[in-house]
Amino acid sequence: MRMWQVAILVNLALAVGLGFGYGAWGRRLATLDGEVKTAQAQVEQLTREREACFAGARIGEQLWEGRGIVRAVYPKMLIVTHEEIRGLLPARTTGFRLADSADHDRAHAGDPIRFWLQGTGTGNNVLVRLESW
Amino acid sequence: MTTLLFVAQWVHLAQCVLLTGAFFLLLLAGWPATDFMRRWEQHVLCWARWLVIVALASGAAVLSVRTGMFEGRPEAALEPRAIWHAMLDTRPGFLWIVRHGLLIVLAAFLFLSGDVSARQNWIAARGEAFLLTALALVLIGSSGHLAASSESLWPQAIDMVHLLSAGIWVGGLPPLALLLYGASQNAAAPDPYAVQTMQRFSRVALITVLILAGSGIASAWLLVGGIAGLVGTTHGCLLLAKFAVLVLALLLAAVSRAMVPTLSSPTAAKSSATARRMAGFIAIEAGLVLVVLGLATAMTVTTPALHDDPVWPWPVRIVHDFLPVVPVLQRLTQLPIADVLAVSGLTIFAIVFLVRRRPILLFATLFALVVSGATIGFQPLIVQAYPTSFVRSPLSYTAGSIAEGMAVYQAHCASCHGTPTPDRAGGWGSAVDLLASETIWRSAGDLFWLITHGRPNLGMAEFGSRLQEAQRWHVINFLRALDMSGFCASGPSRIGAVVKQDYAWLSAPDLTISVGPLTPTSLPDLRGKRMVLLVLYSLPGSRARMTELARQYGTLSVLGVEVVAVPPQSSPEAIAELGQSPPVLFPVVTNGNQEITAAYRMFAPGTAHAEFLIDRQGYIRAIWRSDLTGMPEADVVQTQVERLNGEKSPPPLPDDHVH
Repeated sequence: MRMWQVAILVNLALAVGLGFGYGAWGRRLATLDGEVKTAQAQVEQLTREREACFAGARIGEQLWEGRGIVRAVYPKMLIVTHEEIRGLLPARTTGFRLADSADHDRAHAGDPIRFWLQGTGTGNNVLVRLESW
Repeated sequence: MTTLLFVAQWVHLAQCVLLTGAFFLLLLAGWPATDFMRRWEQHVLCWARWLVIVALASGAAVLSVRTGMFEGRPEAALEPRAIWHAMLDTRPGFLWIVRHGLLIVLAAFLFLSGDVSARQNWIAARGEAFLLTALALVLIGSSGHLAASSESLWPQAIDMVHLLSAGIWVGGLPPLALLLYGASQNAAAPDPYAVQTMQRFSRVALITVLILAGSGIASAWLLVGGIAGLVGTTHGCLLLAKFAVLVLALLLAAVSRAMVPTLSSPTAAKSSATARRMAGFIAIEAGLVLVVLGLATAMTVTTPALHDDPVWPWPVRIVHDFLPVVPVLQRLTQLPIADVLAVSGLTIFAIVFLVRRRPILLFATLFALVVSGATIGFQPLIVQAYPTSFVRSPLSYTAGSIAEGMAVYQAHCASCHGTPTPDRAGGWGSAVDLLASETIWRSAGDLFWLITHGRPNLGMAEFGSRLQEAQRWHVINFLRALDMSGFCASGPSRIGAVVKQDYAWLSAPDLTISVGPLTPTSLPDLRGKRMVLLVLYSLPGSRARMTELARQYGTLSVLGVEVVAVPPQSSPEAIAELGQSPPVLFPVVTNGNQEITAAYRMFAPGTAHAEFLIDRQGYIRAIWRSDLTGMPEADVVQTQVERLNGEKSPPPLPDDHVH
């Protein structure tokens, strides 16, 4: 084999080894990372569904736990500044509909509370339970 | 360990540089057409084989020593498992694998040399060798200080260009000296191909040195930052030493370059003598630049000047902040443009005339004028300096630090310097002598030195033994806030109820927004995202305004404003006290209120209710005080927010540390 052919072959091998090899490895790594995250989210969802089931919810409903501070109390709604509710909402101020069972008479503006939301996660979640944080 | 790392890195860098330059010079010389050139090429190739072996060995030593340093255990340098971990699980390790893979391919190329008698095969072989060495060299730039200094690719690119230029110029010198020495041994005139190679190298070297200088200045700018870093840190001093040795090498290079025309002289004896002299000069030049490489390596194992505390070596320094008030400069800026043009024209005419007739007289006059002008004109800029003049405060400029500094000041300093008291104009009175201009223009490092060592000649005791270092920095943060409060209360920099567009200067002290047991946030968390309306209120006086703000919150939020309310005392009942009709949905700080109130009240002293409009970058842009401007009306804040939203170019982010 002539030297110029060897040079081309070496460069090609380097390009394949470093470029395509690293690219393929990186993509595979990203795919695996995505799969792990999806699996974790599924496990968390199943856990929430199991907890909701124990609490008497219908099939497909989940139970989320949150912590926050009550900002306003209305007969059918509680406005809460809360921390991130994993799998549902980022940290912000949100108004939650109250279930009939929720004992909201004890809540006052400024109270730190722990609360539980029940629903399918598509806007029909209701606050079913709250207690002092 | 550091010395071992330095030696291994120096040797490795030198080998990579020499290999790159050697193959570049072979390509520059072209296909060897004469026996002399073939012999020289064989010498260079033999040399390159040794260089690549040493490069691989020194590279292995670098990895081994670095592993010991990563692990924090010297014995880890000899543990295969630890070295394997460093190679596979760290970015420098990954780069090491790539670079040494390239060097191994190069070694295979050099030791399994094929038939390169045909021109195209020769070009492929030498070109491939240059490509491999150049890649192995420039990739060093991906794991240096510059690569670590920023996520942007530009600093890395600058470092890579610097390394490649160094490789082409520095690495080409030893084989060039060998070529010229060999050429000078001929009884007849030097080989014409050797002369041609020298001429080509001379042109290429000029360009690479210019690129080297440009990229060197750029990287120094990024890693040194200023004069203090240059003269006051180990990294900066190494850079100065590198520059000094480089200047010597460049002087020799200039002498060699001046000899190039004589090299092709028709007299054989004269040409050979010139070639021998040039070989000697270039060999010395190569020795000097190897020292430069050593200094550059030493810089990689020291803390970059930008991240080190400089020790100012001189008793005076120049204050740039005074530039606008230098009388000479003030007068210059007021000169009519026609006069400036006329004087410039006459000066250029005189320079051209003198350069042609009396160059020594010209330069002597210019030097005398510049020195005397600088001495007279810039005298107000020269102030007393101390070793810590350019040291950065380790503490951020926070409300908590200012409040702490205020307490320390009251306990230890107020008895001599006076207690700050608000005056009728809304600022601080003259009770504090530290508001004098002499103190205001001092750097934080100057103040730190004065507090630590005192001023015995003026009767000020030292506080180095009485106050902890952090306490001294707290006092400096307080003094800076005090200075700034003076500027924002009156004069051209006054900050009032109307936003001055594109004029941001008052950095808002950082504060922690802590609401009940929720995870606290801070002012910098909102930078670049939201403006902040910081409301210092007290009930019952502020009740009506707080109710109005609760109603307006939706509108303000849409405009990009976060309202942060701070009552004077920390209390978990703060939200409940504001009531829930209308609901108060903005953060009401329940912890650390005293610190926030103490720090921000400095910018609005003596008032019960104050509101501060802080822009997205973190500057206070408007202040409303209930005693001077009254409570802001419903739409006033919105109007000012819209003015801020209308600004075209945001100011740079403020520094979190005082200067």
